[in-house]
Amino acid sequence: MIELKDISFRYGKGERDTGLSHLNLTIPGGQVVLLCGESGCGKTTLTRLINGLIPHYYEGKLTGQVLVHGLDTAKVPLYQTAATVGSVFQNPRSQFFNVDTTSELAFGCENLGLEEEEIRRRLRKTIGDFRLEPLINRSIFALSGGEKQKIACASVSALDPQVFVLDEPSSNLDAVATAELAEMIRLWKSQRKTIIISEHRLHYLRDLVDRVVYLQDGKIAAEFTMEEFIRLPAARTEAMGLRPLSLEQLAKPSGNFLAPGANGSIAFSNLCFTYAKCRETLRIHSLSLSRGSITAVIGHNGAGKSTFARCTCGLEKKCRGELRLGARTVKAGSCLKHCYMVMQDVNHQLFAESVLDEVLLSMEREDAAEAEGILDSLHLLELKDLHPMSLSGGQKQRVAIASAIASGREIILFDEPTSGLDLRHMREVAQSLKVLSKQGKTILVITHDPELILSCCTGVLHLDRGQVAAEYPLDGAGVSRMLSFFWGFDSRQERQVV
Amino acid sequence: MELITSANRDLSAFPLDPRTKILLLLCANVVIIGGGFSGTAGIIRALFASFPLFLLLLERKWRAAAFYTLFIGTAMACEILLLQRTAGIWNLLIVIFSGIFSRFVPGLVMGFYVVSTTKISEFIAAMERLRFPPALIIPFAVMMRFFPTVKEESAAIGDAMKMRGIRMGGGNAIAMLEYRVVPLLISTVKIGEELSAAALTRGLGGPGKRTNICEIGFRLRDWTLCAIAVSALLIWMMGGTA
Repeated sequence: MIELKDISFRYGKGERDTGLSHLNLTIPGGQVVLLCGESGCGKTTLTRLINGLIPHYYEGKLTGQVLVHGLDTAKVPLYQTAATVGSVFQNPRSQFFNVDTTSELAFGCENLGLEEEEIRRRLRKTIGDFRLEPLINRSIFALSGGEKQKIACASVSALDPQVFVLDEPSSNLDAVATAELAEMIRLWKSQRKTIIISEHRLHYLRDLVDRVVYLQDGKIAAEFTMEEFIRLPAARTEAMGLRPLSLEQLAKPSGNFLAPGANGSIAFSNLCFTYAKCRETLRIHSLSLSRGSITAVIGHNGAGKSTFARCTCGLEKKCRGELRLGARTVKAGSCLKHCYMVMQDVNHQLFAESVLDEVLLSMEREDAAEAEGILDSLHLLELKDLHPMSLSGGQKQRVAIASAIASGREIILFDEPTSGLDLRHMREVAQSLKVLSKQGKTILVITHDPELILSCCTGVLHLDRGQVAAEYPLDGAGVSRMLSFFWGFDSRQERQVV
Repeated sequence: MELITSANRDLSAFPLDPRTKILLLLCANVVIIGGGFSGTAGIIRALFASFPLFLLLLERKWRAAAFYTLFIGTAMACEILLLQRTAGIWNLLIVIFSGIFSRFVPGLVMGFYVVSTTKISEFIAAMERLRFPPALIIPFAVMMRFFPTVKEESAAIGDAMKMRGIRMGGGNAIAMLEYRVVPLLISTVKIGEELSAAALTRGLGGPGKRTNICEIGFRLRDWTLCAIAVSALLIWMMGGTA
């Protein structure tokens, strides 16, 4: 049993996360609880209280008491809480201490000083339970995001804790990996573990969660059983700022459909690329996009989405093929002058000391008035003198978009712009994309977020094994076709329940 | 950075005990930086300089081995062939170039070999057997964990710079350095912070004795290599004092 008694917490200086105020929550053993709410509602803070990172790692002012199976997490040291509470975090890249998978699986058990034989027994069991044989003895740096998250879950599982705390575990995962994550949670649930999941994407948790806790401004604003939660009208969950609980709710025409060829087109022909040591190849014979269209690029992990993006941006010099922009023809290797990518981790592409400088840096000829105009169109003007790194994630992303506009390039690519975003922030991204499209930019969005696609995209490009599997406009039929791609995983999940 | 690309990708093809690797690294650095060109000292220096090459070849790191041969070959050729025949500024440049390369590159490459073929758990196990305190072991282990991370982050930042048209030669060098280093620091600090949080929730830092399931131990090849290294070092030292 987990008890939070009259918890108030405020972070120390320099942390932008929200605290909690006078929060009471009791979670009986074996319950699966979903913590939801908009970004900054305090759900991450709540998970940190349960695993003891607050107050031991993140400092601040804490009152009240947290008891996890009788352990007062504020009083006992972290290594003691570690035996009872296992944690999985959002970013698969930063939760590994080792560089190889096997050592990582054993890492927790080694820290607790278990007998060597016992650790080996647990490793064998965990590997069997999670079907990890193909991932054993590999370098973690060679794994995909989904595989990394699988190893993270398994290494926690090897510790055999009574309580699992997951903080937005699906943020960086695609549809297949999310379905696998759901399977792992299902296994823990069958072992009668207490599971606390803080999450924005809700649909994969539909048949797993017993109880839903909705947080707002550091307080519990509402509580539901899963049955009640499912029955909430869509308008209500939307007003709460929550993502839909099932993809069926999304099945309506988007109204973003753009007549083909209205503004001229951009055509790719014979785009080919092979990695030196990999079999993964890209082979796109011909592909045509309308100017000003917003095309969603979908497909499985390893379908060639990011290779396609890198080739289109001219980041792969060895890529062969051509790009026709109206009357001009550009070789794939020199696309850099015509395309721009807003990366998934925008921290990598912000360099200047102020937001305004950041935009000026992208311009061929620096023009402060034009730069301010661009900032204004993205609601960034009042932030122009701040350091980009002092902004929130969403603002940073808009700064990156502003510099994309400033660069004057015609094609703008987005790599997973909404991974881990709540409803409001997702809509802001959709809004920014529409702003770009109005300015005549052609946009490609690599995404596994069907909601984003419905909010702003005009067409879909489905890649599979490096080739175009399908390309269609998002009219009525297109919407159901796109959704059925994402549904595939959800329904498979349901079959496994039965 | 290019060389670390292949770091930690596969299991080692020619596994050595981490202690052997560290001993080789130390001996090679002492002898090669310590110097001595003529007679036995020269031979021993060449012997130690060839260690990294053989180890890289045994690990099938062909590219790294080729680069290494090229660098050291050029530096040594300059030292032997051009030093006597040039004068003035050229002579000075060649002395500096060949001096720096032939003294530091073998050590660096040896270090690359150690980092890229040793698992962190192996390294920890070896250090524990040598009875180093955890306060010393953990920072070194974290450093090893960070090499590939820095490489990944740096590649992503390089791409972003290319896309922004920020290139070497265009602007001033200080700004270039800033553009590269500042985002790298910010992202690695963030990763480091999250990494520590994750490690702490997995029980790192407890006072009890840590188990290690890693099997390390000396085999014939370890004994052989250690014997060669230590005896070569001794001969070199005696040669130095004589």
